[in-house]
Parts: sequence; structure tokens; C-alpha cells
Amino acid sequence: MSGADWLSYSLQDFVMFGPQVFLRLFVRINQDLWPWQVLAVVAAIGIPVLLFRQKRFERRLAVGLMAVAWAVSGYGFLVGYFGPINWPAVWFGWAFVAQGVLLAAAMFSGGVREAALPSGRFVALWLIVVCGLPWLAVAESGQWQALALFGIAPGTTAAAGALIVAVITGPWRWLYLPLLVLWSLFSAAMFWVLQAWWLLVAPMATLFLVGAGSWLSPRTAQSPD
Amino acid sequence: MADWFSRRQFLINAGLAGLALKSPSLFANTSGTPSLSPIMRRIPGANESIPAIGMGTWITFNVGGDEQLVAQRTRVLKTFFDLGGTVVDGSPMYGTAADVIGEALDSLDAHDRIFAATKIWTGDESETRQEAARSGRRWGLDQFDLLQVHNLLGWQGHLETLKQMKANGDVRYIGITTSHGRRHREFAQIMEREPLDFVQLTYNVLDREVEDRLLPLARERGIGVIVNRPFQGGSLFRRFQSEPLPGWAGEAGVSNWAEFFLKFIISHPAVTCAIPATSKVEHMKENMGALYGALPDADQRQRMADYVGSL
Repeated sequence: MSGADWLSYSLQDFVMFGPQVFLRLFVRINQDLWPWQVLAVVAAIGIPVLLFRQKRFERRLAVGLMAVAWAVSGYGFLVGYFGPINWPAVWFGWAFVAQGVLLAAAMFSGGVREAALPSGRFVALWLIVVCGLPWLAVAESGQWQALALFGIAPGTTAAAGALIVAVITGPWRWLYLPLLVLWSLFSAAMFWVLQAWWLLVAPMATLFLVGAGSWLSPRTAQSPD
Repeated sequence: MADWFSRRQFLINAGLAGLALKSPSLFANTSGTPSLSPIMRRIPGANESIPAIGMGTWITFNVGGDEQLVAQRTRVLKTFFDLGGTVVDGSPMYGTAADVIGEALDSLDAHDRIFAATKIWTGDESETRQEAARSGRRWGLDQFDLLQVHNLLGWQGHLETLKQMKANGDVRYIGITTSHGRRHREFAQIMEREPLDFVQLTYNVLDREVEDRLLPLARERGIGVIVNRPFQGGSLFRRFQSEPLPGWAGEAGVSNWAEFFLKFIISHPAVTCAIPATSKVEHMKENMGALYGALPDADQRQRMADYVGSL
């Protein structure tokens, strides 16, 4: 197709599914994974706890859990559930997996801050994300089974992952940022077309948290070390 | 083919008779004309007629592996068949819609009740046969009734192959599609020089550009017309459903907005079939209501357009 042909398409033409089908993805993955969601909840609570421990191993474990969350939500939700109805989701799914690998590589290559962060603001924002954002899909669908949990649902995972910017240093951070921005723009456009207004909060929160994560990072935060 | 068609007609009529007994109100004669027979349209140049209301699958049948929704869409398709529909249109572009149609056809054991139309949607012009075969496997069909080049993508190469396939008996009808009013000038040029059986285009009570050139050209060239986006992607309902139907709607054979929009389209003499899409059984029943009863005449069509324009 020529450039003019592509321009004749609207955003709506690229969203080939309805809101009901999309929201059912959360219900279906929760039904299929039950009761393994417990692990996701434990990880969501464990990451900030481990991140502020003094031992390096524990902080690395926190970053490792975040890396797993990226990979699981990417491969599980995006490739496995969302991909069949929306082919760009497969690309994003593999990009989420790559983001997890990137985070793991940063962890083993000195790209993750070794010292603990001041915990208060980070923990507050983290808890708002992992406890609050999962309910957006519930509010949109009217079904509590649609809970979009951290580590399973890509929106909640990406928003929490944005805060992790605070602990990534050097060029690793710049490699980590593009997916956060691209995913936010992609999902915001999709939710706009679907008129899923509650869900729009997640990508907006992700973009905000990229800024917040940078603000909480070593250069601007006062280190206790 | 004659035997095949007779069997199809028998199944349609048997289904209609059974449904009429169960749902007398659906076939209530509100327009003073006999209504039990579906409105059929002859395919130009062929000794075959198809119901004037078909079914599109864009968005609505792309439900992935969600068994609950597959079962629900199967009920939609069953309702469509039960009410006399046969023409189902899809495309490889529509995600899992082809797989869902195939699963629904298997569940309903309805492979011989369908006039199956899909599209060739690939920029690789040497892939025509392979893509048709892939779609056939997904639908669970040996061959399609109609293959169309989707939005003119790679149309030169695909159309040449489709002509060969038709000559070999691998497909019964061939065509091209457009939507949203795209590339109408090029579309008309192809209609003028290629031996097409069908064109598919966008036409509804608000999007009427095709009345100027493409619809008259289709009549002149003896090409069947399938109309997509009859509800403008649902926006016609969002804009007008809260408004009352005009007092004279009954005279035009119209009892709800779905019938209003669809009968406006299929009453155009060049139109063979409209393909509304829906994910709900109740909406399918409303859509299929347009397959029965009186159709508006030319004056009434003008009043319909004027009325919508006045709202």
C-alpha cells in the first residue's frame, strides 16, 4: 500500500477486537492460572521489601523478580492470550520478555544501583500501583475476576516496572526506557479506540512513574549510603 | 451445483418455516405485503440468488480462543442461518475470525448452508492460492464461493490468479473490495476493464458517494455489489438510535433503526447484499428483520436520507 493509503486508515481500523473480548482476556488468564496468582502477589509485595534490604543479594533478587514479571506478563498475557486477536501484541510480548532479559543483564553487569534507596516515596508509589491499578479492569468490566495483577497483566507490570527506573543506572536505563514509552502510547491509543476509559489510567500512570522513577534515582534522591 | 443450491434453499425454507411457528411476531406482516419469503437478489450473470442480508465478521468474530465467546458467536451464526442468511464475509486480516467461523460451522454442521466469501490480503502477489487454501482450512471449507482482493492490496497479481482459479473451478466468483471510500477512482477503473463478479464497498445512509459512480457502473457492467459498513461501524446507532423513527417508517417496511439503515441500502437497485456485523443474537434478529417485508421505493429512500439528514 502507498503512504496515502495508510493515511486513509484511522486508528480504529487497527483495533480488530471489541472491549468485551479484551476484558475477557483478564478473566480467562486468571481462571487458567489459578491459584498461581498467589506467587504474583507475593512478588508484588516482596520486591519493595527486598529492594531496601542492606544485603546486595536481596536487592538483586528484587530486580530479578521484576525481570521475571516482565517476561511472564509478556509471554503469558501478550503472546499467549492477547496475540491471537491482535498481532502487534505479539511483538510487544516479546519486547516484554526482552525487557526482562535486559533487566537481568543489567543486574549482573553493574547496571543496577548497589545501595538501598530512601524507601518511603518509592514504597508508597509502588503500593499504589500494585494495589490500585489491578482494579481498573474490574471497574471497566464489572467483573472482579478481571483483576489485572502485577506480574500477569502487562499494564500493571509496566507501571510498576517504570518505578524500577529508580534503581537502574547508566546506559542500561536508556535501554530500559523505550518500551515503557512505546507500550504506554500503544495501550493508550488502544484503550482510547475501545473507549475503555478506566484502563487509560494505566498508561498515563506508567508515563508519570517513568518521571517519578527518574526523580527517585540516585542522581536526585538523597542516598543513605 | 443445481443440486447443491436446491439443498441450500430447502434448508433455508425449512428453517424459516420452523422459526415462523416459534416466533410469529418476527414475521408479522406489518407492511401489507407477503413477508415469509426472504428478499433474494440474483447474482448478475449467474443463475443464482443470494439473500440480500449477509453477515460481516470484522471485529465481532475475532474472539481468540475464548470458548465462552466462541459459543456465543456460534449462537449468533445459528440465528443468522435460522433466519435465512447464507452470505458470510471474512478476511485473513480479521485476526481469529476465520477460526471462529470454522469452529462455529463445525458446531452447527452448517458447511452446506453458507455462501462463503473471504478475501486475499497479502502484498505478495504470488501467494493468492496459498492464502485461499489457508483460509479454507481455517473455515473448514474445500473452496470458497467468493474470493475478493482485500482493499486492492496487490490486486493485479491476485486478480490474474483468481481468474485462473475461477476458470479451473477452484472458486465460483471473484471480486475486489474497498471500504471507507478509499481509492474509488482506481476501483472504478478496475471495474471497467476486469471481469468481476462482485465488488465490495462502503455504502450507508450517510456515506453515499458510491451512488454517483460505482453503483451505476456495477449495474452497467453486471457486477454484484456487497455493501460493508452498513451501520458506519456502529456510529449510525450511536447517533440516531435515541431519535424516533419517522411516522411513515412502516410504509417503507421498517420497524426499527437496523431495518431502516439496511433497507435503505438493499433497496438500491445495484446492491446485491449488505453485510452487517454483530456479536449479539438480539441484534442479529433485528438485522435479519430487514430480509423480510416491503422495501422502500425511490421516493421513500429519498425521504429516509432527508430524515436522517434532518436529525
